[in-house]
Amino acid sequence: MVTYLIRRVLFQGVPVLLGFTFLVFLMINFAPGDPVTHLRGVPDLDPRVIEDRKAQLGLDRPLIVRYFDWLGELLQGNLGRSFDSARRPVANLIQERLPVTILLSVSSIIIGWGIGIPVGIYSARRQYHLSDYTITFLAFVGVSVPNFFFGMLLLYIFALILNVLPAGGYFGPGEEFTILRMLSYLIMPAFTLGLASIASITRYMRSSLLEVIRQDYLRTARAKGLRERVVIYKHALRNALIPILTLMGFMVPIIFSGAVITEQVFSWPGLGRMAIDATHQRNYPLMMGITLMFGVLTFLGNVVADVAYAIADPRIRYD
Amino acid sequence: MAEYNEEQVMSRRNIESPWAVGWRRFKKNRVALLGAIFLVIFIFLAVFAPFLTPYDPTRADFLRRNQAPSSEHWLGTDEMGRDVLTRTLYGGRISLTVGLVAVSIMMIIALILGSIAGYAGGFTDTVIMRLADIFLSFPFLILAITASALLGPSIYNVMIILGVISWPGPCRLLRAEFLKLKTQDFVQAAIALGGGHRRIILIHLLPNAIPPLLVAATLGVASTIIGEAGLSFLGLGVPPPAPSWGNMLNSARALHIMEGMPWMWLPPGIAIFLAVLSINFLGDGLRDALDPKQE
Repeated sequence: MVTYLIRRVLFQGVPVLLGFTFLVFLMINFAPGDPVTHLRGVPDLDPRVIEDRKAQLGLDRPLIVRYFDWLGELLQGNLGRSFDSARRPVANLIQERLPVTILLSVSSIIIGWGIGIPVGIYSARRQYHLSDYTITFLAFVGVSVPNFFFGMLLLYIFALILNVLPAGGYFGPGEEFTILRMLSYLIMPAFTLGLASIASITRYMRSSLLEVIRQDYLRTARAKGLRERVVIYKHALRNALIPILTLMGFMVPIIFSGAVITEQVFSWPGLGRMAIDATHQRNYPLMMGITLMFGVLTFLGNVVADVAYAIADPRIRYD
Repeated sequence: MAEYNEEQVMSRRNIESPWAVGWRRFKKNRVALLGAIFLVIFIFLAVFAPFLTPYDPTRADFLRRNQAPSSEHWLGTDEMGRDVLTRTLYGGRISLTVGLVAVSIMMIIALILGSIAGYAGGFTDTVIMRLADIFLSFPFLILAITASALLGPSIYNVMIILGVISWPGPCRLLRAEFLKLKTQDFVQAAIALGGGHRRIILIHLLPNAIPPLLVAATLGVASTIIGEAGLSFLGLGVPPPAPSWGNMLNSARALHIMEGMPWMWLPPGIAIFLAVLSINFLGDGLRDALDPKQE
């Protein structure tokens, strides 16, 4: 397992991350407009000033050199400095925003799994009943609602009409931290982000369990007189959960994509909102830093899913 | 197996083609049919929008700003005095067009790269699949945001970005189909008879890989409609004043509009939801109908 993990990081993770960062680096640099564009519009400005500014920002050297510079700095744990006036280190900016984004993403994953799995099991056990049809239909609804529209509906109902939850944001300055207050900020964004996961996990759980229930070893289990609960939860579920675990890896990037929009709807002060701001300002080092961060997080999520898969299924051997 | 007698040979005429079997199954699926009907209605409303409404979707009328729904403006007017129903109908034109064009781009890339990877195998296959991994293993929206902010918001850029970013899914699907089909006797026979690469791919492999691709394309339209709406909602998609369902929601994000004037943001949101839901039902029905493992 350990050798597998090392191999996975070295031969799969690193090349994919390198490829991806380079792709984004190219995109950013071939795009029109750069941090000195606004200076070009200034009348009577000595072109030397622009050149100086470019040299100061390191923009005068060849592209590939700049990419390797950036990588070299990265290996020393340095993501460069933000292009905005404060010139703060990108690593610090990311560090400030990362925890809230993780909080939001992890909560929504917990909601997705915590609700999706039991509902999927229930639906499968009541196949062809009205409740099964209702759940299947609702799951379709769940994957079809755009999450920002669902977020707006929640905001409208719970924050604006009923006025029971805050209308977005996360802890204003000087506000005292309590778990209850945190939950009141968190619950709507987490459900917004979790909706698609709830729906798709319900669907996969249902079909996966139905697949397993048909197999011979379950008939045997029933035939030897085990109670239905034991048959389902001890014998069937273990095997039915295995394909669901692979889903986890696929869903990590989807969760992060959703987080960007959800953060925008609820003014959630996370990485996603910072990514959008940085993009509008063409703040290259910050964009690269955030992109890399999302890449690393996604990759880690995939590795966790692989490990969980190996633990759940003893047939899987990674060495 | 015994030899065919004349009667059996004659009855070949009565053998259903895979498509006929698919259609017979699809007809029985009421939910999928309902999805198809809804979709046809949506397309009708979008295509004939100019004949269905007397208003202009982009011309501002400041004397009629922020009006609640009335007999004159069924869904009210927005903050520029434009009729919301009109904008929702015209928005459907843009959202559906973006979905169709983006999916066409996606399918063209996927067809080319997937065929090459699945047919050629070896190093070519590895390179293409690694590239697909890179695209698949990163948050879709992070890529889309970066790309559209850099290319600038325009309806064409949205189509290109959504199409280019989403090719890996169907590409892997097509490759897997090719790998499966390549080992089958009829393809082996065609190769043994000296069929050229192009003939093998276009006549023997591709037509047999169409059903799963058709399902992927249908569901792809749903996800690109959501993708377009998401980008436009972030202000990085279809630029105003042209209406799209996403940018209509974006312009209604202010809390006072959300609270006091729900007629501005509920219609486009519900339109996205219904369109995507009916396409998903249709795609799911197609999958059930065309999947030979079902019977």
